[in-house]
Amino acid sequence: MSAPAVSFSGVGKTYKRPGLLSSRYTVGVAGLSFELRRGEVTGLLGLNGAGKTTIMKLITGLLFPTEGKVRVFGHPPSEGAAKAKVGYLPELPYFPPQVRPAEALAYYGSLSGLSGSALAAAVESAVRRTGLEPHAAKKISEFSKGMLQRLGLAQALLHAPDLLVLDEPVSGLDPLAIHDIRGLLSGLNSEGRAIFLSSHSISEVEKLCSRVLIMVRGSLARTVERAEWESSPRGLEGIFVEAVR
Amino acid sequence: MRNGPRVILHVALAAVRENVRNRFFTLFAVFAFAAVYASVLAGVMAVDQEGRVLTDFGLTLIEFTVLAYALFNASSVLLREAETKTIYLVFSRPVPRWAYLAGKLAGSLATSAVMLALMGALHLLLLRLRGFPPPAYYAWALCGSLLKLSVITSLALFISLFSTSAVSTLVISGIVWTAGHFSAETGFLAAHSSGAKAAVLKGVLLLIPNFQLFNVRDLASALPAAAFAAAALWTAGACLAASWLLSGKEF
Repeated sequence: MSAPAVSFSGVGKTYKRPGLLSSRYTVGVAGLSFELRRGEVTGLLGLNGAGKTTIMKLITGLLFPTEGKVRVFGHPPSEGAAKAKVGYLPELPYFPPQVRPAEALAYYGSLSGLSGSALAAAVESAVRRTGLEPHAAKKISEFSKGMLQRLGLAQALLHAPDLLVLDEPVSGLDPLAIHDIRGLLSGLNSEGRAIFLSSHSISEVEKLCSRVLIMVRGSLARTVERAEWESSPRGLEGIFVEAVR
Repeated sequence: MRNGPRVILHVALAAVRENVRNRFFTLFAVFAFAAVYASVLAGVMAVDQEGRVLTDFGLTLIEFTVLAYALFNASSVLLREAETKTIYLVFSRPVPRWAYLAGKLAGSLATSAVMLALMGALHLLLLRLRGFPPPAYYAWALCGSLLKLSVITSLALFISLFSTSAVSTLVISGIVWTAGHFSAETGFLAAHSSGAKAAVLKGVLLLIPNFQLFNVRDLASALPAAAFAAAALWTAGACLAASWLLSGKEF
């Protein structure tokens, strides 16, 4: 049986803030155990400070757990074998303003191990899929927030990852950009890629995801399957509000 | 580990491109050219020692200008990439952290080498226009400056990983740079001191690189192999320490 895309076993993360005389400790997440299934779109909901970004950084190896075990396709997240299978879009990604999208993508593609014609094809495909073709000649300094978000998605897609970890992928976008990104994510999922996305937009999560994790103050409060919120008269929003209150 | 050389190359090339495009680099280039021209004026005022003053003043200005650029760059690059989250897009990929660091150092040194070569060429042109032949040790002097920059840039990268801001990295690196040019004096003081004072001075001698090793004017000859070996050891030591810190750093 193949390993799940992601597994968390009793994971905790405590942040240490060094002070002059003593350190201050803040719990980011505690006692987290869950799995993300291959090929599934899973949403992550929670209020600000609930631990959503911490979870995403633990999956991508940017943070290390202080307790428990994280595995990505059976590997520790810091290993190259895990990272090669993950594409990550941080919230509000930044790119050097003076370059053009293809140049930025070529750099990130080369860091993912692509070269030559494979790199050129991956860049061309990512630009096309994210709808950046009409803006290919522009410098990134001329990009709107929506275009930057598309570019952020493009860099996450370059190496054809099996899992996409997306932190607030539709945050601050106009309705048309949200519609386009939703279509793109649905297409990627239909290719068998797992998607793990956090959002403050319950309606977006509702449209895209087959399962939702609800975080409350660093702990996993609820796991909700699509069938449950579809059969509930209160919908996902009602379940979420009840969980976080 | 297999990705290492490829990552170093790509990160270094991207760093050079970014440095060359950066307006900060342009400002420094303008300043450097103006400074080298000022050395001509200083040379004229030196009357019968014009050739020597012109050479020494120009080489010093070139070294300080590139040093300032290299330190500003090294002290802020990792901090800036963490603040802008650019580093997230790098370290979420199969990129060994030591290779990323080595790439940043290589990019910074390549930029410094280009700046040294450009300003050196201008300086030599000015010397020629004033009727002085190029000094025999000139290329070695620039080479010595590059070795110094290799050591101080790698140390600045290391310091930036535990200091609280780019300014504190600049200050600490500046102190190391200054103290490293007084190693002989520190050694003299250590030899003529006793007790705790001698121990502290000996500790300083061990911890701070001896930048006088790379001053061609002090040697009046080509750089010895020992200077290259010392630069390689200091650079490698600082890089290893920085890699160790970076491997455990969270973003």
